[in-house]
Amino acid sequence: MIKGKSFFGLVAIAAASLGSPAFAQDKDPGCIVLKSVAEVEQTVVNAKGEKTTKLVPASTAVPGVEVIWTVTANNICKVPSEKVTINNAVPEHMTYVASSAMGPGSDITYSLDGKTFGTAEQLTVKVDGAQRQARADEYRHIRWVFKNSLQPGAQAFARFRAVLN
Amino acid sequence: MQLSNFLGAASAFALAFGFATNNAVAAGAPAGTVINNTADVSYTVGTVTTTASSNLVTVTVVEMINVNVTAQTPNFTVSPGDTAQVSNYRIDNTGNGPETFRLVLDNAITSDQFDPVAATPAIYLDSGTSGTVGAFDSSDIVYVPGGNDPVLAPDAFAIVFVVNDIPGTALDGQLGVSRLTADSRTGTGPAGTTFAGQGEGINGAVDAVIGVSTGTDSADTTYLIAGVTVTANKTQAVLDTWSGSRPVPGARINYTIAVNATGTGTATNVVFTDNIPANTTYVPGSLALDSVAVTDAVDLPDDGDYAPASGPTPARVRVPLGSLNTAAGTRTITFSVVIN
Repeated sequence: MIKGKSFFGLVAIAAASLGSPAFAQDKDPGCIVLKSVAEVEQTVVNAKGEKTTKLVPASTAVPGVEVIWTVTANNICKVPSEKVTINNAVPEHMTYVASSAMGPGSDITYSLDGKTFGTAEQLTVKVDGAQRQARADEYRHIRWVFKNSLQPGAQAFARFRAVLN
Repeated sequence: MQLSNFLGAASAFALAFGFATNNAVAAGAPAGTVINNTADVSYTVGTVTTTASSNLVTVTVVEMINVNVTAQTPNFTVSPGDTAQVSNYRIDNTGNGPETFRLVLDNAITSDQFDPVAATPAIYLDSGTSGTVGAFDSSDIVYVPGGNDPVLAPDAFAIVFVVNDIPGTALDGQLGVSRLTADSRTGTGPAGTTFAGQGEGINGAVDAVIGVSTGTDSADTTYLIAGVTVTANKTQAVLDTWSGSRPVPGARINYTIAVNATGTGTATNVVFTDNIPANTTYVPGSLALDSVAVTDAVDLPDDGDYAPASGPTPARVRVPLGSLNTAAGTRTITFSVVIN
C-alpha cells in the first residue's frame, strides 16, 4: 500500500513539472509520459580540428534556422500500451522540412488540416479547381502510428525538422 | 550651313518605383514571437484508450538584423558643372524587428574618374505624406545623422534622396560614383554576431543577431559625363533641263543633308540652318524633313521656314530638330535650288 502511494505521488510530481494542466488535473496520469524538446544543430570543432554537429536545446531561434523537434513516449506502467499514436502540429511560423519526419517502428502520415491524414502520395490540395499533390512545406500536422505495442519501460521516439519562417 | 545645339543632360530619369513593386523578402516571424509546441499521444491499455499531452515547449524568435539599400536611379548621364543632381535610394528593413539606420554618403570612391560633390545638405528623407511621395520636392526633410535616423518596422522601407553637384572639370566619358550606406544602429558585423538583449521584440527585449547583410548595406549611383557630337553630311544632285546633270543656268540642285548624333549624350534644341548658295534661287515648297514637307512660312506644326535675303543676310532655310542622340538615328533634310 505504501509502495503504491509513493508510486502515484512520484507520477503526480512529474506531471506537474511537465506543466500540462490537463495532465495535472488528471487523477489517473496514464501509462505514457510524453516529452517534447526543441533543439538546433551546433557545429563544434574538436581538438583535432574536425567538425562535428551536436544537438543543443533551443529556447530562442533566428528566422531561417532549422529546429529539430523530438518527442519521446515512455511507458511507465507494468503493462504494454497498444496503438500508440503521436500527433504533433508543425508549430506556427514554421515550415516542415521535407522527408525529415522519422520514428523507428512507426507509419508516418501527414495532414494539411489536422483531420485528414495520409502519406505524401495520398495528400492532395485543390488549387483553382485542379487537384495536385500536396507539397511537404504545406504539411501542418504529422502523425506517427507505432506498429508494435510499447512495452513497460520502453520508449517510442518521433522526430521532425521545421524551419523558422 | 550651321548647327547649333546645347549639350543637355538626360535628366528626365524615370521614377520607376513604388509600393506596388515592393519585392522585399518577407522578414519572417516577428522578433519576440513565442512559438509553442505540444505533442499529443493516444494509446490503448486493455480496452481503455487514453490521450495525453506533452510538456509545452516554447521557442522565442530573436531579432535578425538585415538591411537592403537600392539605388533606384543607379546610372545618370550629366554634363560638367551640372548642379543638384538628385538620386533616389530605397532603404528596406529586411529583418524581423524594428530597426534604426544611420545613413552615410561617400563620394570619394577610388574606382571612378571624378568625385561628385555633395550638396549642402546632401541627404533628404522623403516626407512620405506631403508633396509627391517618393519624389524629391520641397516637403522632404533634411537628414540629420543621429537626429532623425530612419526607424523602420520589419519589411518597411524609406525613400532617401541624395543631392550631388557635378564638378565643371569632369571630362566627357568619365564616371563618378556616389555611395549611400545604411548601418543598423544596434550594430554591424559578420553574420551571426549576437547583441544580447538589444533586439526589439513584440513582447519586449530579445537578443539581436546580425543576418547575412552584416547589418549594413550600400548602393551606388554612377554619374556619366555624357558627350555628344552632332554631324551633318550634305550631298547634292544636279538635274539640268535636258535630264542631264550639268550645272548650267536653269538646272536644279537637290540638296540632301543627313544629321545625326554620336556619343553617349543627348543634344537638345538642335536647329539646322543653311544659307541658300549665291547665284541660286530657292525652289518654293521644296523644304522637307524626313520626306515630310516643311512649309516655307514661319508656322506650326513644322516650325521650320524659308527666309528670303534681307540686306546683307542671305536667304536661308531653317529646321528645328529638337533633341538628338544616337538612339534617335539620322534626320534627313532636303531642299532644292535653281541655278540663276
